[in-house]
Formats: sequence, C-alpha cells, structure tokens
Amino acid sequence: MKKQNRVGSRLLIGLVFLFLYAPILLLIIFSFNAGDSNVVWRGFSLDWYGKLFQNRLIMESVYMTLLVSILATVISTVAGTFAAIGLFGLKRRWRNPLMTVSNIPTVNADIVTGVSLCLLFGACFMTWGRFAAWFNDVQSVVELPERLTMGFVTLLLAHIAFDIPYVILNVAPKLRQMDKNLIDAAQDLGCTWMQAFWKVILPEIKPGVVSGALIAFTMSVDDFVISYFTAGSSTSTLAMAIYGMTKKRVSPEINAVSTLLFITVLVLLILSNVLEARQEKLAERRAEMKPMPQRRPILPPVVRRPWFRRTVAGVCACSLVLVVGALAAATGSRPVVNVCSWGEYIDEDLITQFEEETGIRVNYQTAESNETLYSLLKSGGGDYDVVVPSDYMISQLIEEDMLAELDYDQIPNFSLIDPQFRNLPYDPENKYTVPYAWGTVGIIYNSTMVDEEITSWSAMFDPKYAGKVMLINNSRDALGIALKYLGYSLNTTDEGEIREAYQLLVDATDGGVYAGKIMDEVFQVMEGGNAAIATYYAGDYLTMLENNEDLRFVIPEEGSNWFVDAMCILKDARHPAEAHAWINFMASTDAALANMDYIWYGTANSEAIAQYPDYYLENYGEELDQETFDIIQTPPEVLERCEMYLVLPKETRELYKSLWIKLGV
Amino acid sequence: MSKELIRLSDCVVKFDDEIILDHLNLYINDKEFLTLLGPSGCGKTTTLRIIGGFLSPTSGDVFFDGQRCNDVPPHKRQVNTVFQKYALFPHLNVFENVAFGLRIAKVPDGEVTQRVMEMLEVVNLKGFERRPISALSGGQQQRVAIARALVNRPKVLLLDEPLGALDMRLRKDMQSELKRIQQELEITFVYVTHDQEEALAMSDTVVVMDGGLIQQIGTPEDIYNEPKNAFVADFIGESNILDGIMRADGVVEIFNRRFQCLDGGFAKDEPVDVVIRPEDVDIVPETEGQLRGTVTQVTFKGVHYDTIVDFYGFKWLIQTTDYCPVDSRIGIKIDPDGIHVMKKSAYSGMFGDYSSYSEEYDEIGDASLAPDEEGSGDEE
Repeated sequence: MKKQNRVGSRLLIGLVFLFLYAPILLLIIFSFNAGDSNVVWRGFSLDWYGKLFQNRLIMESVYMTLLVSILATVISTVAGTFAAIGLFGLKRRWRNPLMTVSNIPTVNADIVTGVSLCLLFGACFMTWGRFAAWFNDVQSVVELPERLTMGFVTLLLAHIAFDIPYVILNVAPKLRQMDKNLIDAAQDLGCTWMQAFWKVILPEIKPGVVSGALIAFTMSVDDFVISYFTAGSSTSTLAMAIYGMTKKRVSPEINAVSTLLFITVLVLLILSNVLEARQEKLAERRAEMKPMPQRRPILPPVVRRPWFRRTVAGVCACSLVLVVGALAAATGSRPVVNVCSWGEYIDEDLITQFEEETGIRVNYQTAESNETLYSLLKSGGGDYDVVVPSDYMISQLIEEDMLAELDYDQIPNFSLIDPQFRNLPYDPENKYTVPYAWGTVGIIYNSTMVDEEITSWSAMFDPKYAGKVMLINNSRDALGIALKYLGYSLNTTDEGEIREAYQLLVDATDGGVYAGKIMDEVFQVMEGGNAAIATYYAGDYLTMLENNEDLRFVIPEEGSNWFVDAMCILKDARHPAEAHAWINFMASTDAALANMDYIWYGTANSEAIAQYPDYYLENYGEELDQETFDIIQTPPEVLERCEMYLVLPKETRELYKSLWIKLGV
Repeated sequence: MSKELIRLSDCVVKFDDEIILDHLNLYINDKEFLTLLGPSGCGKTTTLRIIGGFLSPTSGDVFFDGQRCNDVPPHKRQVNTVFQKYALFPHLNVFENVAFGLRIAKVPDGEVTQRVMEMLEVVNLKGFERRPISALSGGQQQRVAIARALVNRPKVLLLDEPLGALDMRLRKDMQSELKRIQQELEITFVYVTHDQEEALAMSDTVVVMDGGLIQQIGTPEDIYNEPKNAFVADFIGESNILDGIMRADGVVEIFNRRFQCLDGGFAKDEPVDVVIRPEDVDIVPETEGQLRGTVTQVTFKGVHYDTIVDFYGFKWLIQTTDYCPVDSRIGIKIDPDGIHVMKKSAYSGMFGDYSSYSEEYDEIGDASLAPDEEGSGDEE
C-alpha cells in the first residue's frame, strides 16, 4: 500500500517535471535541427548557432541587452546597497513602511510598471519640450533639442528603476543580521564612515550585494514588457528582438538564441545559489564554534593585498569606461536612419552593405502587424524615419496626414519600378511610396491528403474536407475569401454581400470544416501534415515547401487578394535625407534581387524581375523552376484576377468586427 | 587624585520630546576607573556614547583634555570603546581584529605585529592570532574586544556592559582581569553597568544614575554606606527604608521610638528617610528588642537566612545567620552606625518596603540577566 503510494507520488513528480521542462527541452533539441522546421527533425547541426552570430539584428540586440543589463546592474547595485543602508539607519517607525513601499515594484505587474514609466517619460519629454522651446526663444546662444524620444537612456533608467528593489531586497536581510555596533566599532577604531563601509559593512553584506547584483542582472536580461514600453523605436533588447522575429514564425535561430539565454540565466541562478549555500555552510561552521586546530602558533605575518583591490577597482573602472565609450561610438554622431519593417523581411547583408556604402547607420526595427505599427506611430512611441506598411494601412496613413511626400529626385532608382506597380489605389498619384515587396494570398494544400487538384475557394467550404481545413485568423482575409468565392469585391461595402459571405463561413464552421483558426502556426501545421488545406501567403508557402514536398499552392480561379508593402517616410522623420538614401538603395536592382531571393516575395523592380532567373542560376547552379518563379512573382494574367485591399469605411469596419466576434463564439 | 581629563558640562540629550539626559555635569580624572551605574534607560549608555563621539548632546559641552570636542567625530578621538556584544569583525581573524585600528592609522607592519602581540599577551590570548572570531568562546571574544581597543593606546577606554553576556564565574574572573589591566596600563576606564556588585568591586568612582540625572557620585564605600537618597540606597544592595523624624543631631525617631545615630545637620523635627541595611540588624529575644515584630517568611540563602519581619505593618528584610521560624516573635537591636539618615527626595516612599518581598527580590535578580533590553532601550 505504502509502496504503491510512493510509486504514485514519484510518477506525479516525474510528470510535473516533464510538464515544466519538456517545452525547454524541445526548444533546445530543435535548436540543433539541420532543417528549418520546428516539427520535422533533419539531423544534428550547429548551423543555427552559426547563423545566429551572423544575424545582425540579434547580435545588435544582444549587445544592447548586455550593455543595458550591465550598466543597470552596476548602477542599481550601488544605489540599492546605499539605499538599503540608509533605510536600515532609519527609525523602525519609518523603516518598515518604507521597506514595504520599496518592495512593491518587485511584485507589481510588469505591464503596469512599463506603462507607467512610459507615461512618465512622455510627460517629462513634453515638459522638457515646452521648456526647450521657450529657452530657445529667449536666447540664441545655446540651442536645446526640443524633441526628445525614448531610447537607450530611458531604457537604462527603467532597468535601474526595476532592479533597485531587488538589490535592496537582497541586501536588507544581511544588514539586519549584521551587528549594528560594527559600524560604531569601526569608527571608534579610526575609520571615517566611508572607510567603515569598505572595511566592515561591505565584507559583512557582500553575499547579499552579490546575489542582489546577480538577480538584478538576470531580471534585466530577462525583461521584455518594461523594455518594450520604454525602449522607444531605436533600441531593442534581445527579448524584444525575439518577439519581433516571431511575427512570421518561430525560426530555429530563435531556438538557438533562446537556448543560449536559458543557459545563461541558469548559470547565473546556479552561481547565486552556490554562493548562498557556501555562505550558509560557513555560518554554520561559525555557529558550531569549533576551535580551529592551531597549525602555526607563532605569528605568521598577515599578508595584505592592497594591490589586489586596486587592480580589481582599476579593471572595473576601465571596463566601465570601455562600455560607455563603445556606447558613445555606437550611438555617436554618425548619421543614422531608423527603419521599421516586418520580421524576417530583409536580407540583412543588405543593411551592412548600405552602411558600408553610405556610412549611414541603419537602426532596423520590426513591428508585429500593421495595426501595431499604426498604434505605435499614433502614440508617438515610434521614432522611425522609414516604415513599410501594407497598402490599406498606407491609405489610412495618407488620409491622416502622417506621411511625407517623397522627393523622387533623391530616389533615381524609382525609374526602375515597373509601371504595373506605380500609382496603385492606395497612393494614386504615387507621391508617398516606393514598393518594397508584394505577394498574393492563396490556398496551400497537401497533395497526399486531397484526391483532386484544388483550383477554387470552394475547397475552403467543402464538407468533404471536414476537420482538415485551417481558416486564416483575421477577419479581412477570412471574409475576403468568402466574398471572392461568391464573386463579390474584397472591398465591398454592401452589407448584404458581407453578411452572405459571413453565412458561408458560419455554415462551414457548423459543418465542422475548420479544424482551427491560425496565423503563424500554419508553418508547423502544414509542414507536419496536420491539416490538408490552409490559406496563407505565397512567399511563406515556399518556406514550407522546403520542409514538406507534398505541399501545393494555388491562387483560386475566383481570384484573390494581392498586397503591396511599400516604403514611406514619416512626416516627422528626423533623418529625411538618410531615409531617401535607404529607400533608393532598397529600390536598386541588386538589392531587389538579393532581397527577393531571401524573402521569396515579389519585387516591383523591372530589371530584377527580368534578371532573377539568371541570378538564380548563377547562385544555385540550377535552373529556376518556372512554377516557383510564378509563385514569387505572380504573372500579370493571374494578378488581374486579384484585388488589393482598400481602407473600408468605418461602419463596414465595425460590421467586420462584430461578425468576426460572433463567428468566434 | 590626578588631573581632570573629561568634562561633561550641562549636557542635555533629547530624542523627540523625551529627555534622556537632564543637565548632566560630570568630570572624569586621568587614570581613574569610573563606573556609570543605573537601571535600564537611566542615561548611562547615552553618556558613554557622548564621550565616544557617537552622539552629540542636544545642548551642553563636552571637553576632552580641556578642549571642547562636541563635534569631533569618533575616529578622531583618543578614546576607544569595548562594545556591549563586542562588535568584533567576523570576517577578520583575531590578529586582524586587534590590528584593525593600527592598520587604519597606517602604522608600519612591523610595529603592528609587535603591538598586537604585546596586547594579546596582556589579555592572555597568545597563540590565538590565527583563529577566526567564530571559533572563540564568549570570554575569549571579550578579551579580543579589549585588546582591539587598547592596542591603539587610547587615553580613555569606554566599556559598555562588557561582561553582560558572560556567565557568573567568568564575569568574576574578568572583573579582576579588567582591574589588573587598568592598573597595569594606567588608562582611564569609563565603565557602564547595571550590576552594582560589579561597580563596587572594580571602581575608583561610582556614578549612580537614574532618569537622566546623576543621583550620587562617590567611592564604592561612600555609595554603599552613605547613600544620598532612597533610590541609591535601594539600588545599591538591600535596604530597609523607613520614614523617620530627626529629633536632634544623632537622634532619629522611627515608629515613635528614638534611635541613636551618627548623622547630624538636619533641622529639628525634620522628616527624613532612614536606611537600615539588612545585615546591620541584630536579632535578640523579643523582650530585649528596640522593636518587636513577627517573622512572616524565611528563605535560606547559604551564608545567611533572608528573614522578613513585620514591624507594626511595615515589613523589613533582615539577613541573619540565626534561624527564626515563621510566626515567631522576635526583637531587634540596631547599632548607631547601622542607621543612616537621608534627606527626603522624590524617591521617598517608593523603595525599601519588603511587603511584596518575593516579587521585588526576583526583579532585582532578573535585571542582571537582561542587558539586551537596556541596550535597545537606550538606542531608541
């Protein structure tokens, strides 16, 4: 009976640990996968780790993370230690409530801390702006910058702010354990307060200081939410970069970087635990009061090592100077352009190439969706020069007067843009945009799981495929599919037509056609053969095809949506000249070719379209498959059947929203 | 005695609105062993902290060797302190603890070694240099603390209840040890304690304090034999304190009976407090006694019996080697030098009645076991 119980409880413990660690284990395993799938194992390889170190975005964010974490740790450890000593010196009546108050941030929700810091910085910047404007008005000797934006400094301040309580929390117990008379005793023996701090207090509370610093560092490296709200657009930490990358899919590069992050944090935690354990053991031994065996009864001259401490201090100071110097060099007076695009939407070699050619530093950030980008721009959280929104969002931005008219004289490469991609509905006079990439939405299906060649959207509603179809999880695309199937326009504002399309979705849902609604998960589901049919973007299909050769792509005969992401310059951009240079560079034939080859989305550069088959042959030593090329660069006759999204009037947007919510329920 | 070294002049210390020291005036001579004696919260530790420089008086002046030193920080005073719980540095070994002050003063290594070793010899800790503090017993830690303070050759050593944490036997040993060291090194000791036995055994001068005021300053003999008021009489040893009336020089009336005494200089018929030490009372047969009473309680104490006797409703403590059973009637006789007459004070009527004998006796016994309360009480 008893034995059984024990087996049961062991099993339970095993399950708990499995549940806790299986996801991380999986992540670590797949970081060594040779293929780029998270489902299919293609053998062991260290490729992703290699790629990781060549991934500019990640390496820059790692550098930023380390810089912020180290600086924040150093500053908050010093500040927190002295704060703890100060609190400790207070009368109990004050000390206890103050300690509680200082601990609150550690249990406060990150999101609240992040938002409130964001608000605070915003308010400070506004006040400063007014002051600077007034100051510049009344005198002309010094020109103060009127517009401040969030960036490295705010990020650092935020990290220091949330690190300090952890340091206090770790140092305070050590102070409480310390005999208060020690400080008096040191001063009595000739120490000034500062000497007493170094010679007596610090050695006593050192374990607390060290573990406080370690925890502060871990927290800093780990933090996403607070950084997200305080870093502004020009700075991003590792966690933010990873989050940006997941916009498209969880790439094995993320597995690799997450594995490294996990191991780093693990090592730090083990280190701090070992330190603590050793300290406790020492304390225990002290408590036992075992008289130590006397090895050398005659006085051994005590070795003093002032050089040691001086060396350590020197090394610390030097490294701090180096770090700050590196920071200054990194953010210094070099011209810069802040770009916001989508995750995995550029061949990063192009950034390096651009920087080498022009000497302009590119600050490349990513947003998750058009809507996120929009709200970022609206809230003033973005400090971007160039953004790459999609068609319908561009018209909205133009409508709201947020884009600057481009100076096409500075973009000679615009002449290479195929006429087919000029004066598109979102920018009819082509005053604001240069196309970046474009693509189509179509049906991706697994040829082994259906017995016919799919050519129509009807497959998306066919009870025959019940439980095998994945619906795209956004209202515009899902209802768009139904509208197209019914032969209506994607941009219809007729409520009857929209409701008809909605009914189609409802019937299919009720008929059990859809196994689920997904976005980025589509990669895993389709690669793994877990669904037969899904709707997604052409470029992404090619990525999936690499991992599952049975997949097919079709733009249904009823037509579909085609979209363009175009480069625009924001009205309040601070680096317009650099922004134009960047757009011109990206519009060039070489850049277009390289980028097209990397992201597998179509280009609008007519030379690049013409040269791509040769480019492919040259680079891969084999002929470009025409079918593949047609998927990347949808031929004009197919494109004719497709429609572009336009901004819908408000009432139609509301209707979409309410229908979508109903469908979800 | 020798010249004056420290003077506290009209010192007042207030925390918030609480008066801790009330216009204290005190001078301390060179090479003197002076003890500040009093119950918890009497201001003795505060006085010590003023001398040490850890506390500035709210008003009043502190002089050291004739120089005003109110604002001189502790590390610049020629004074060292032995703290209540020693406050040894746990991260340093015995040698480095003792050497600490010399290191701060940047004394050359060779001299440090020599002086530390000398001092360890003085406190009988030779051979312990390499030990960590945690491996020492309480008494050994105590000696390290003393050595650490004395190695700096201070003019004054302040000791804040240094023996409070030791057990009885060790405390007795350390008392004579301290006295020996003080005489050997010829340094002024200012010693704080609440233990009257300790104070009487070691001091040249005892300062009895209560409520932030000095109650009496004198040699141990003066303090014991000629207490100035009921507080001192009660705090130092056991006392029966009675209301009396001074009828003439050398004649005091207690319980309507006249007794011969050695005191004088009072007004005629002045109400006074009369102190009679329990050991100064002789028990005689009832018929021969100057006063007659009933025994209510007897406790065997080893050397003597503590006998509580009821005289006309007032209970006395009498220490005698003669056993008198409970409820027996006895008489007592007091020699004139056993009677000590004091002026009436704020403390009159508060002490010296043994009707609640057991509780009060216990309380006195307890006080020596609770030095911690004292420390925290003074700090707050």
